[in-house]
Amino acid sequence: MGRCSFCGRWSYRGILCPRCTSALEAWKREFPICSLCGRLMGRGVSQQLCPQCQEEKPPFRLARAVGPYRGMLKDVILDFKYKGRRSLSQPLGYLLAQVVAAEPLFGKPQVIIPVPLARQRLKERAFNQAELLAREVGRLLGLKVAEGVLLKERDTVPQAGLGRKERWINLKDTFALKRASIIEGQDVLLVDDVLTTGATVTACTIVLLQAGARSVSVATLATGIL
Amino acid sequence: MPPFLNKVFCGQGYLYFFILGGRLRVGFSHRPGLDRGFWEARGAISFGLLSPQVNLGVAQFLLDKVSSRGPGQLSPYGLKCKLEEWGRHFGLSFSFKPAAPALPSPLEEELKFVRNVLSGRLLFLEEVDRALRENGLRVKSGLPDILQYLYLQGECELWPAVGFDRQGLPFCRRCGGREKLVRTGCGACNSRFCYVCEGCLELGEARSCRALYARAGARKNFRRNVTPRLSFPLHPAQREAYERAAEFVAKGQKPRCLVWAVCGAGKTEVAYGAIAAALAQGREILYTSPRREVVKEIYPRLKEAFPGVEIAVLHGETSLKFPPAELTVATVHQVLRFYQRFDLVVLDEVDAFPLTGDPRLYFALERCRRPCGQVLYLTATPTPELRAGVRRGTLPVIYLPARYHGYPLPEPELIVIRNLGVKVGGRLPLPLQRFLELSLVADRAQVMVFVPTVELVQDTVDWLRGFFGDEDRVRGCYAASAQREEVLASFRRGDFPVLVTTTVMERGVTLRRLNVLVLFADHRYVFDENTLIQLAGRAGRALEYPRARVLFVAGKISPEMAEALETIRRFNRMAWEKGFLKAYK
Repeated sequence: MGRCSFCGRWSYRGILCPRCTSALEAWKREFPICSLCGRLMGRGVSQQLCPQCQEEKPPFRLARAVGPYRGMLKDVILDFKYKGRRSLSQPLGYLLAQVVAAEPLFGKPQVIIPVPLARQRLKERAFNQAELLAREVGRLLGLKVAEGVLLKERDTVPQAGLGRKERWINLKDTFALKRASIIEGQDVLLVDDVLTTGATVTACTIVLLQAGARSVSVATLATGIL
Repeated sequence: MPPFLNKVFCGQGYLYFFILGGRLRVGFSHRPGLDRGFWEARGAISFGLLSPQVNLGVAQFLLDKVSSRGPGQLSPYGLKCKLEEWGRHFGLSFSFKPAAPALPSPLEEELKFVRNVLSGRLLFLEEVDRALRENGLRVKSGLPDILQYLYLQGECELWPAVGFDRQGLPFCRRCGGREKLVRTGCGACNSRFCYVCEGCLELGEARSCRALYARAGARKNFRRNVTPRLSFPLHPAQREAYERAAEFVAKGQKPRCLVWAVCGAGKTEVAYGAIAAALAQGREILYTSPRREVVKEIYPRLKEAFPGVEIAVLHGETSLKFPPAELTVATVHQVLRFYQRFDLVVLDEVDAFPLTGDPRLYFALERCRRPCGQVLYLTATPTPELRAGVRRGTLPVIYLPARYHGYPLPEPELIVIRNLGVKVGGRLPLPLQRFLELSLVADRAQVMVFVPTVELVQDTVDWLRGFFGDEDRVRGCYAASAQREEVLASFRRGDFPVLVTTTVMERGVTLRRLNVLVLFADHRYVFDENTLIQLAGRAGRALEYPRARVLFVAGKISPEMAEALETIRRFNRMAWEKGFLKAYK
């Protein structure tokens, strides 16, 4: 018996209480997901791919998330990311590891790479939320975490609040690789907190593939709703 | 800009050493040149640095170790070896580094500005900056340099927000917490040994690499004789308590005193006596409560009672956090930012959430008063610790056993009903039917029905609606219900007669004609003695209807129910013996 990691109520088993677990899983009945980018499509949509993926396929193999970026999950991510409640990295990492383990399409990635923060932003925030998540997922799944390999070379305007096009422009030539040999010929699992339009993970994927990664799949805590 | 993201100063720097008076001394600075200038002006020689940079938390631990062993006899090489021995745990290996040239001291005027805003405070660098801006002050030198210089002069304390104790265990210097500390790699100081306190995150991140600056409050001589302006004459019971509270402050012999008043007795007015006595002696006063509503309500009342006295209000919603004041009204959380400032702390509703069971808030209250400062607790339901103090005779107590209108407290009637049948929607038992009929028809009063859990609120609402056969007569609300404010406002207006709620409404509700019904009163985790006294205390507060009905319904009479009844009776007896009560008309 312990306390629920999200709401703090006493729970008999697991890291989340039954109420938070059911609140987290409610979306699965509501929304179909795009089989490529993992984003949620409107109710009643029967197609497999979202309009964006139909128009142009993303460079990553697939992306999956714990749930939509709203409600309780959004509150918890905000607490984790902006209020700095680092202890949430454990339950959130656990949920993320569950997503990776439960999806057979992820295959067997050999290395986990967290989406990096720019140096200045890291100084301000004092931690990289994607890095904490990646460490937890790596620990639980027994995978190697390559920190400091993918770098964000310049600081950009925060993506939150920008449109799709502006996000692309904002991220142009931002990411670079150090010690590329680590990912050469490897299946990479890219970890981030939120996937909204997919601009950040796409930019990272392009850099990783150019450096010789065999494939890149993406796991995020939350994803956008189309 | 995303919420909560703010730029913070990272306390990282070098350990340094020098020789003064033939003895080796050590220090830590983010700008060693500044320290070099300071110490060389006092005759120091052989100033040297030790590389690499370490964060403030680790530096403080190493400096404490060094000072406990006495560094004076060591040579610089011996010091380096010792530091390496103690720093091995942190993966540190030191080497000598050429010292930076000496820097001049900051301007005296700027030191004075910072000294003033930091007086009686415990702040992060960013908060000092904000305090300067709020008070219209500007400094040209770097603020960290100014604060470091004040520290060197012994005019302020400098601590890592999360430091280490003598055993090397981390603890939060701001809230005193030891449990909610998280160690992760820090992106600001690049250390693996940077702890973050998650217990006081709402006031800004306390980390090992963030510096906390503290300065004891300077005494101000603004003695003034103030007579509080009261909107009504004091009842004899209040008058007696008022004078005794004033005497407690005027004599200043005892550090603590409890004002134990019955619910609705007007204990705030009693505190006015203590506040006036403190102002007459030129003391600084803090009026604090765990509840924001109390702070918001008390502030205009204090302004009205003490015109001409500078009063500041601080809670989560106030924009100004550093206003100058003789009397500060604040929530207990805001008190975490004060350091040895107040001579008198008036703590209202000492037993209310979140103060109960939160040791960090007691830690803050102890720290915000001067070493010889006094605390006046105001409550109707003291915590077991305070009661024990009263029993042992270590805590002086001022009783206020009668309400301002002079009528006795309504004594609860205890009724045993084995199976209430709320969940199954059974028939309403006869005693409850009688209670509701008498309340609504004979007394023309509203009824508050208290239940122990949120789940029971809706069940009870449905059950009572079944009895009335009318949906509009009964409504329910609890802490997280979306319509809580609307339902409460509607009940206050008298739009419907019966409100079903949880203990969230145990305080701060005053209605003219109100009866109280507590269901499942033997629920031991929720309805303890203090809660039951508070619930009963909602009834009979107004002069218009002092003889209210209170009914506790339970499967059995719990010890808590019996004790609550006994305490209420004891106060009525005490008030009667002292001649404070009058008979019902």
